Amino acid sequence: MADESPKPSAAISRTTRPMSEALLNEKWDRCLSSMLIRSGLGLSFGVVFSVLLFKRRAWPAFVGLGFGAGRAWEECDSSFKRAASPPKDGLRVIRP
Amino acid sequence: MLRASILRARPALRPIAPVASPQWRVAQRFYADEKKAGETALPGQATSVPNPASSTPPSSTIAPSDVPKTPPQPETGRSGPAVQPATTPPTGPGTASIAPDPQPAKPKKRRLRRFLYYLTILSALGYAGGVYYSLVSDNFHDFFTEYIPFAEDAVGYFEEREFRKRFPGRAGQPRLHPQVTGENKITIPSKSGITSKVAAEGGSDLAVKGPHVSALADNDKASPKEKAESPKETDAKPGAKKDTPAPTVPVVPATPATPIAPIDHLNVPAAGEPIVQDVVKIVNDIITAINADAAHENKYTSALEKAKSELGKVVTDINSLKDSLSKSAEDKIESAHSEFDAAAKELVRRWEVHMHDQETHWKEEFENERERLSKNYKDKLRAELDATHQLYEQRVKNELLQQSISLQDSFTSSVRDRVEAERDGRLGRLNELSSSVQELEKLTAEWNSVIEANLKTQHLIVAVEAVKSSLENQTAPRPFISELAALKEIAVDSPVVSAAIASINPVAYQRGIPTSGQLIDRFRRVAQEVRKAALLPEDAGVASHIASVAMSKVLFKKSGLAVGQDVEAILARTEVLLEEGELDAAAREMNGLQGWAKVLSKDWLSETRRVLEVRQALDVITTEARLQSLLVG
Repeated sequence: MADESPKPSAAISRTTRPMSEALLNEKWDRCLSSMLIRSGLGLSFGVVFSVLLFKRRAWPAFVGLGFGAGRAWEECDSSFKRAASPPKDGLRVIRP
Repeated sequence: MLRASILRARPALRPIAPVASPQWRVAQRFYADEKKAGETALPGQATSVPNPASSTPPSSTIAPSDVPKTPPQPETGRSGPAVQPATTPPTGPGTASIAPDPQPAKPKKRRLRRFLYYLTILSALGYAGGVYYSLVSDNFHDFFTEYIPFAEDAVGYFEEREFRKRFPGRAGQPRLHPQVTGENKITIPSKSGITSKVAAEGGSDLAVKGPHVSALADNDKASPKEKAESPKETDAKPGAKKDTPAPTVPVVPATPATPIAPIDHLNVPAAGEPIVQDVVKIVNDIITAINADAAHENKYTSALEKAKSELGKVVTDINSLKDSLSKSAEDKIESAHSEFDAAAKELVRRWEVHMHDQETHWKEEFENERERLSKNYKDKLRAELDATHQLYEQRVKNELLQQSISLQDSFTSSVRDRVEAERDGRLGRLNELSSSVQELEKLTAEWNSVIEANLKTQHLIVAVEAVKSSLENQTAPRPFISELAALKEIAVDSPVVSAAIASINPVAYQRGIPTSGQLIDRFRRVAQEVRKAALLPEDAGVASHIASVAMSKVLFKKSGLAVGQDVEAILARTEVLLEEGELDAAAREMNGLQGWAKVLSKDWLSETRRVLEVRQALDVITTEARLQSLLVG
């Protein structure tokens, strides 16, 4: 019985919680992936708009890329900032 | 509807009317009837079916009036239209005009009759059903008996029957309450009850003595009778004495009472004899009684005088007799005296002779007796002397015997004492022996306990060593729960060991703890990450993170026991400490980190702490085991 109980708990803990030294790396991974996806989405939207509305000018594509990248950046930034301080989920925040 | 029924009823009552009525009148009525026939088509059809069945009785009754009017036609017409209206109402107005003519006359009658018939049947059925159901259900019984007229009687009758069937013995008396059947009336007379009447003075005065005041009255009633009887008895005595004096009393009382009494008193001193006195007393009593009686006349005075004279005579006679008797007695006494003197002299003389003889005789006897007695005494004395002598000798012998016996006793007692003393000495030695044996036993028992304790401590040490070796020889973290359980089982009674085991985090023995090599390896990985986050400000965004990563590449690494509180110095110191094997100090150093660096090194730190806990617990247990072995020794 004693041998059986620890194994599942260990397995669960490994899946749910990453090791603490890998926390930052994981965040970087997410940031990069979201940056890629969002900037790609923005770029594609920009390309479509440029084709449809702006006579195939280049700038709408860049603007879309910028939008996507900016959004990803902002998300990443907020995730980093949130992680630094201990999580305040479920706590009441009293503002001055 | 009502009018129609009246209209119908009228011809039914007067069967002759339609016969005499003219055609136009019939037609008129037909109009009215047709309308109503249209309205009452259903009952007409419904009633038309029983018509043929009931056609014969009415025809027989109404025959004398109807038959001559339409002998064959109505029968054929009746058989025809009776069936026809059921299928096709409007058939043949010609026939219909004739057919309704006889029909309404009879159906009107019959309808009422039928209505009554059905009404009675329905009501009877309803009552029957109601009675039956009320017998079954109490609730309905209440409703039925309360709201339906006569229902109570009906139900009561059936209940009564059932009751009689069940208890045939009590058939006579009704079971239901007298309220149902009617109570037996009690008539209260008009003069009953309380009336304002003044209480009767004589009869009902409570103040008057009566049986209600005291029960002694009955006794009083009884006592007068007794009293009445007792006076009679008392009267009887005087009555016996003077049965006659009673009527003669009235003349005497005053005169004779005075002359008679002194005469009696004169008599008394004359007669000194007691008997005479008694007689006088009796006479006196009689006289006083007569005197007391006022009614007596002087009848008895003569008799009394005679009696008195007789009494005086008797007294004198007695006195003379007495005198003569005394004289003769004196003479006799004198002669007796002389005789007695002579006899006495003779007697004295004879006595003297006799005494002399006797004296001589007694002297002889006395001498003889004295000799015999002295002889006897001498014999007795000799015998006694012999006896005392023998007794003395015997006593002396007895004393000698007693002495010898006491000597023997003392000898045996002394011998016994010696023997006892000897035995006591040996027994004492035996006791010593047994006590020493007991001590030996105790010693061996103690040694047994010592050996047991030794074994226990040995087991403990072995178990601790097993745990330690299993922890040291592992290549990967491995649960050591079985070893720990064995350890706990061995040291069940030791609170220190159990406390030490309880202090270990369960995760540690369930999942195992890493070796020191693994810890160092992991520390290096952690250190790289920490170094990346070494330069982060307080609330770092992406840019600062990128900057930190970039700048950490170009930082100079510190090594050895560096001085300072920056991350690089802490990491260097920790590494050195780990390489030296001081896990405790290394953990303390890493605990000094701040911010992201601390977050990153959290897992490593907790792992290190777990290892430290286990080590500490094992140290404690080994120390305890050693202490126990020392204590035993």
